[in-house]
Amino acid sequence: MMASTKTWTARRPTRMAGILICGLLIVAAWAALTLDPLSQDLMKALEPPSLAHPLGTDHLGRDVLARVVHAAPRSLGIALVCVTGAAGLGIALGLVAAYAGRLADICIMRLCDLLLALPGILLALLLAGFLGGGIIPMLIGIKVALWPQFTRMSRSVALGVLNEPHVEAARLAGFPAHTILLRHVLPPVLRQTVCLASLGTGAAVMSISALGFLGLGLKPPTPEWGSMTSELIPYLADAPVQMAAPCVAIFLTVLTVSVLGEFVLARRTRLPR
Amino acid sequence: MSVSEARLLWAVAAPRLWQALITGWLLATLCFALTHALPGDVALRVAAARIGDDRVTAEAAERIRQEEGLGLSVLTQYGTWMMRLAQGDLGRSLVTGTPVLAEITNHGRYTLVLGTVGWLLSYLIALPLGFWAGCWPGGVVDRLSMGFAVVLASLPTFLVGIGLISAFALTLHWLPPAGFKTGAHMVLPALTLALGLAAYSMRIVRNAVVEVRQAFYLTFARIRGHSSVGAFLHHGVRNAAIPIVTFAALQFAYLVDGFVIVETLFNYPGLGDLLVRSLLARDVPVVVGAALLIGWTYALINLAADLACLKLDPRRSMREAA
Repeated sequence: MMASTKTWTARRPTRMAGILICGLLIVAAWAALTLDPLSQDLMKALEPPSLAHPLGTDHLGRDVLARVVHAAPRSLGIALVCVTGAAGLGIALGLVAAYAGRLADICIMRLCDLLLALPGILLALLLAGFLGGGIIPMLIGIKVALWPQFTRMSRSVALGVLNEPHVEAARLAGFPAHTILLRHVLPPVLRQTVCLASLGTGAAVMSISALGFLGLGLKPPTPEWGSMTSELIPYLADAPVQMAAPCVAIFLTVLTVSVLGEFVLARRTRLPR
Repeated sequence: MSVSEARLLWAVAAPRLWQALITGWLLATLCFALTHALPGDVALRVAAARIGDDRVTAEAAERIRQEEGLGLSVLTQYGTWMMRLAQGDLGRSLVTGTPVLAEITNHGRYTLVLGTVGWLLSYLIALPLGFWAGCWPGGVVDRLSMGFAVVLASLPTFLVGIGLISAFALTLHWLPPAGFKTGAHMVLPALTLALGLAAYSMRIVRNAVVEVRQAFYLTFARIRGHSSVGAFLHHGVRNAAIPIVTFAALQFAYLVDGFVIVETLFNYPGLGDLLVRSLLARDVPVVVGAALLIGWTYALINLAADLACLKLDPRRSMREAA
């Protein structure tokens, strides 16, 4: 355990790089949000990078930089909604499972096992496929795949905390269940699940782009990294920069999010118990 | 095999088999619910899938409504649907008219080969690298492989695939970019899968090796005079293998994620390609068949991993028997 907590993530350079990339992305995004991601100009299709179009144009003559940047808040926003929703539901059910007795525990944990027994992408694929793409099926699909992990972790943390003397004392002093759960159990659970949430955000960004790539995500012409990539595959040899741009955006986003998560993890494990 | 061993095996296998059954039921119900939750007339949609959007008439839809019993109550339809599935009748594809069973086994074969090759390849990468990194934690190999793993884990599968295509197919012309005719067509998709899997398994192997090397029983074996290699072979390998085998089964989930994308990208005629195409075409019976096959394989692989761990770890079989 000690060896794994003192990995490279606890050292400075990567952390600084993560923060730097994060800052750069935000500044660049701010500047480029003024560009129009939808206006087409077929005469200027697949142009290489120039001053007017720093990352070139795609097969319909749309500015790739504008599209990459406009996709960012959408992807991240959906990912964050998924993760907060999944975390809220997962933690709430985890606390109930830990506190409310055997029957609730068995029901909730069996449901978790069942959902974890399905490959996560399968649910998202089925929902998105049947309901015809768009935001809502994607939200539900990714959320359903994510919440059992939160439930498992928060339940096991809560079970540990509930056995501690200060919680026992609070119970004996006659505090109601919700006070004990909110004041004594929730804070340590939240501390443990922060890292899971950051990993989940990265996973959600990847799932969104994967669905987009398969043509089951956000509807075109909405700029989205995954669908931008799959649209440009036929022009791979002619438009390498345009192709690489959304890919690099996904990569940097997922990397940044996971580095931030590891940073939180490193901070947390340094704290005295 | 003695009676107690058989009972133990059953104790491990039974929950997984239940899980497989319930998974199948859940998937089938989900698909049924989703088809009926869609706005519009189911009969019209089936008719459109069978005879083409532009030739659908009210009579054709009516005929299909009669044939398929779509006019009955939802509960009756659900009952007949479940009865048919329970008897192994998956129906026919709405688009091609071939039986679904034939379709999914045909495509499933390709995916089985691709998945197995990719999975083996990933351990060909992960075992040596992870072992090396675990023997010298904090060393150059450890740090390099960690960086490699973090970068790979942040890359979406299709990006790895596109990178490999542009390097080995478009620039170097060593391998064909897509499709499936010869064995060479499988190298790039399998490698794409393997890299994505190895990003995680490398770290698991490394941590397992580090943990075993720090364990007291290994020090004790060294004190008793075993060589370090002999001690590791005798006491280390099995202990290190337990988390690795468990994780190898868990990786099937990533594998599903991976092969759906990889097959679409490389135009490889497997189950993922079939699933995506039939989802886009709203070919419900094929979607259900493919989803059931994937879900059940996942449950069976988990069962196999449980049994393998039982063989590797006699302590566990004693605990379970108690």
